[in-house]
Amino acid sequence: MDPSSTGIQEPFDLIRLSLSERVFVKLRGDRELTGILHAYDGHMNLILSDAEETIMIVDPVDGNFEGQGTVKVAKRKMEMLFVRGDGVILVSPPSRT
Amino acid sequence: MASLQGYVDRRVLLVLQDGRAIVGVLAGFDQKSNVVLSESKERVYSMEEGVEEIPLGLYLVKGDMIALIGEIDDAIDQAVDLSSIRAEPIPAIRY
Amino acid sequence: MLIFSVFKTLTDQRVTVELKNDLSISGVLKSVDQFLNIRLDSIKVLDETRHPHMMAVKNCFIRGSVVRYVQLPAEHVDTQLLEDATRREAANQAKR
Repeated sequence: MDPSSTGIQEPFDLIRLSLSERVFVKLRGDRELTGILHAYDGHMNLILSDAEETIMIVDPVDGNFEGQGTVKVAKRKMEMLFVRGDGVILVSPPSRT
Repeated sequence: MASLQGYVDRRVLLVLQDGRAIVGVLAGFDQKSNVVLSESKERVYSMEEGVEEIPLGLYLVKGDMIALIGEIDDAIDQAVDLSSIRAEPIPAIRY
Repeated sequence: MLIFSVFKTLTDQRVTVELKNDLSISGVLKSVDQFLNIRLDSIKVLDETRHPHMMAVKNCFIRGSVVRYVQLPAEHVDTQLLEDATRREAANQAKR
């Protein structure tokens, strides 16, 4: 497919076309976000509304071997959120199903 | 401009990237938020005993090392009995 | 520059800044600069019993680089304006 027909020539175009849509964001520190994307810049600073954060907390169980343990998941919601770009690992557009 | 100008000659609390807490009088700063503190002391927090204050004297702290600078309200600060405070140290910044 | 402008429009609003050391501080946004360093007034540390370190601190300067999130007052954010400005800035970047 001709890349110009989709309007995507470089990585940031993918994010631009996701404006006002719900995106998935993976962050450092075992955090993930979904939210509606309203703004971004070249540092991948983001502004999301209706954001839900998921934190994965690995609890090493006593007496267990390394690499084992239970994974706790904590969720919280935030109405309007600025995300600093240096923590962003990836931004993924909404799945079109 | 979010500048440190208003803090000069005031007593401030510096929280460093590694979680250390230092109080002192802000003697000066520059564009990179490098900071000079006079009469500075480190406040060491622990759950086992009260806060320990370690005198450091005149200190130059590199801007890169600083997480936060807060202006101390002396009236409130002096009313607190540091030896009665039990708290975990502030966690280090993790990128 | 865009995000810097957004923060400027939120001056005097109450925001909650979450740091990369898991400290959350709410306060009134007094100023912001190009590095997204932030000055907050009338601050309150969330979970103050666990974090008594800043009890006597009423206003503070936060280095932009240690910020993880800033929770913004949604009613003071014009999302349509934000999206238009973002598209404009993206177009300007592409021209360069």
